[in-house]
Amino acid sequence: MSFLKNRGCLLSLVALGALVASAACGGDDGGGEKSPAATGEGEAAPADQQVLVVQHTEPQYFDPHRSNFEQDISNERMLFRGLYQLESTADGGVSAVPAMADGEPTVSADGKTFKVKLKSGLKWSDGVPLTAQHFVDGIVSRGCGPDVSNDYTYLLQSAAIGGIIGVKGCDEYSNAMGTTDQPKTPTEQELAALRDAVGVKAIDDTSLEIDLVDPKLPNSFKQIFSLWKTFPARLDVIKKYGDKWTDPGNIVVNGPFTMTEFVPKDHITLEPNPNWALEPKPKLRKLTIKFIDDPAVAFRAYQTGEIDIVNFPESEIPTVKADATLSKELITEGTGRIDSVEMQLKDPVLKDFNVRLALSRAIDRETLNQVVYNGASIPATYWLVKGLAGYQGNARFEKIIGYDVTAAKKALADAGYPDGNGFPALKLLLRDDAVQRSLGEFLQNQWKTNLGIKVDLEFVDSKTRSSRFNSEQFQLFRGGWQIDYPDPENPLIGLFTTEGGNNHYNCSDPDIDAKLKAALTESDNDKRIKLLSDAETLIVTKLCGVAPITQLARVYLVRSKVGGIETNGTIDAGLPANWCAECWFIKKP
Amino acid sequence: MTGYIIRRILWIIPVLWAVATITFFLMHAVPGGPFTQERNVPESVIIALNKRYNLDAPLWKQYLQYLWNISHGDLGLSFRGDRDVSELIRQGFFVTAQLGIVSFLFAAVLGIVLGVLSAMNRNGPLDYAGVFFATVFASVPHFVLATFLIIIFAIHLRWFDILGWGGPIEYGDAFDPSAWHLKKMVLPVISLGMLPAAYIARVTRASMLEVLGQDYIRTAHAKGLAQHVIVFRHTVKNAMIPVLTVMGPIFAALVTGSFIIENIFSIPGVGRAFVDAVIRRDYAMIMGTTLFYAAIVAFANLIVDLLYAVVDPRIRYG
Repeated sequence: MSFLKNRGCLLSLVALGALVASAACGGDDGGGEKSPAATGEGEAAPADQQVLVVQHTEPQYFDPHRSNFEQDISNERMLFRGLYQLESTADGGVSAVPAMADGEPTVSADGKTFKVKLKSGLKWSDGVPLTAQHFVDGIVSRGCGPDVSNDYTYLLQSAAIGGIIGVKGCDEYSNAMGTTDQPKTPTEQELAALRDAVGVKAIDDTSLEIDLVDPKLPNSFKQIFSLWKTFPARLDVIKKYGDKWTDPGNIVVNGPFTMTEFVPKDHITLEPNPNWALEPKPKLRKLTIKFIDDPAVAFRAYQTGEIDIVNFPESEIPTVKADATLSKELITEGTGRIDSVEMQLKDPVLKDFNVRLALSRAIDRETLNQVVYNGASIPATYWLVKGLAGYQGNARFEKIIGYDVTAAKKALADAGYPDGNGFPALKLLLRDDAVQRSLGEFLQNQWKTNLGIKVDLEFVDSKTRSSRFNSEQFQLFRGGWQIDYPDPENPLIGLFTTEGGNNHYNCSDPDIDAKLKAALTESDNDKRIKLLSDAETLIVTKLCGVAPITQLARVYLVRSKVGGIETNGTIDAGLPANWCAECWFIKKP
Repeated sequence: MTGYIIRRILWIIPVLWAVATITFFLMHAVPGGPFTQERNVPESVIIALNKRYNLDAPLWKQYLQYLWNISHGDLGLSFRGDRDVSELIRQGFFVTAQLGIVSFLFAAVLGIVLGVLSAMNRNGPLDYAGVFFATVFASVPHFVLATFLIIIFAIHLRWFDILGWGGPIEYGDAFDPSAWHLKKMVLPVISLGMLPAAYIARVTRASMLEVLGQDYIRTAHAKGLAQHVIVFRHTVKNAMIPVLTVMGPIFAALVTGSFIIENIFSIPGVGRAFVDAVIRRDYAMIMGTTLFYAAIVAFANLIVDLLYAVVDPRIRYG
């Protein structure tokens, strides 16, 4: 009696296998388009082919006035637009140009009052006319409102409290709830009075007037009023739907796209807004943004043809470059982020400049870039990123703080630790992910090999790391700064001013303070840039809390069928050329 | 039996209370809060956010408020987009449950069939093949298997897709044929189900061998009963008791989701949401998903205990 003669169990196995095989041999159902070989340039494919699937991380909000992260901002720039918008120029720079505004603002003689006229015929996606009052509501109620306060409220506050553009009355309104030590509970009338005192008014339906606390240059004004915190708002829609006002079906937009579908943890779908006022009009009829946090997962999805634009990990660069197709679809762009080793100046060892100099000069940044980033990033001894006005670059600082083992050893000896003898072990605090592990091990090895000192690595999760940084519980910290807007003041003010809100390494230098303070009130732009550039020189040459190591780059894969990609790392937000998503299209094969 | 079921269900309440309490205080003890960032967060922002999410009250008050809320079915709002936690869990679980149930069925069928075949062909080629399969796949972590499957079957052979889940995302689409894409389901199901299948195969084989050695099986052979009758009517049923013991926890583990598989295949399930919530210190989501998991495990164990009584008439609950 052979059990094999009873085919019951075997048939079950065969059936299971058949099911798997039938799934494999089934048609291509629902994944994204497989990429055809690109044979044409520039011309758009027919409308039914204008479908694009891209990858980004999941946003926290779709409300521009509450957003803090680049993935949120990336989506919101597709859904909304402000008075001005940031565009890439032919030379790779950035310019703030009129969006909803009709031309340049009119500035008063004292430089504190700006009048902006809107273009005619503007409409929201639901057909309601877009008026100046919507911008007033966006800037006042949603921008300065204490209940909507977020990381970017500071853009509208004054320099006196660490802000930027200084809309009159915004400081008082945004801080209406007081502080944790001295909380306030204003009445509705008091809040209304504070709100009405904010210096943004609609003169008529198509004009608004903005009063500032301090004089500002028109370019600075336009830059700030390009940003998401100043987008217009529909208070009627927000009141009607509450927190669900950004749900598909409820959301009302003035940007090139509107959101028609949102599946948490999965994707959003955008389609053209028929009332988008500007050119170009979107050619894409459907843009799907898939939420994939892990770049390695995104890379595999690109390889299977399910996604058309991805940000992939640097570790896969050799694979990409070795592939005939992928190598042609690779885009590398320097971002607006500088990575640095941050050094706690309150620490008795690190407060010695020679120790900091030794640490900085012992780092071979070129090799670091190859080992950690597979050559994708830009070795940096500078703080103002390439692309910003006032950029000085490695030519200025390489010989002062750059890699030189002899100079590093000498600096350590001058600090009293020849060949590292007697040097206490330090700790380097990093986030627990693959790149930072690689970076940490590289730095540890550099300091051991070149200086003979011991640095222990401490890996923690993101929130713990941030908490330790904010409470200044660190010696060495892998940090840096991602610019919020393309002005050299952004990576300097508040980071290197004594008692600055982001100055957790305790850089305190009267010369640096003087330069930055003067830059805030300088009315001549060239002089202002020079002051900021001088401040950078002082910060870097004194290693005042930071030793820059790389200007980060992002690596993307973009299918050759996709057109309209004009990247600019200073303003792209996690997707190549997403400063103009309406420019994207599918090329004719 | 009814009394037993009611008592077990009532016991779940203090269990969930204990889970909620431990999780709540542990969660607040961990460094870093939901709004902690590398950048300085202005005080006005902290005040506004704490007010919005009721985090400005003393901890003991927040704890009592939370207990009161969950007793009324309110799991609170996620810090991500202010979405209702119950709604997020409901949506995520719909996907995770599909993945879990299909993986479980795959694991159960494959494991039991292989285990039975191995036992019936002891020391034969099928037995060696079954033992080899069980040993190998019990040793390979599912994320390693997933990577190999993706490279071979998706990237090189292009047989399957790897992004997202191949079943309906919304409950309303459950019966819509266009919401089902088998090509996307195969690899995550195999990745997740293979390790439990291997484990089930081993347990089934061992259990079958034990039952096959029993006197009543020898008697059945002596009486001339057909092989398939001996196997299916007498052997398999009795061999299933130990198998059920392991399948209960396996079912609970699969249905509550695998963060790793959901992450690798970008599946919008509740497992991924849970780990994301922990990383972000999304308090309401952490509490909601933890309680949800605890409830699932408790009910799964209850169902397994009840199934014992079904499979073994000697077991009775009073």
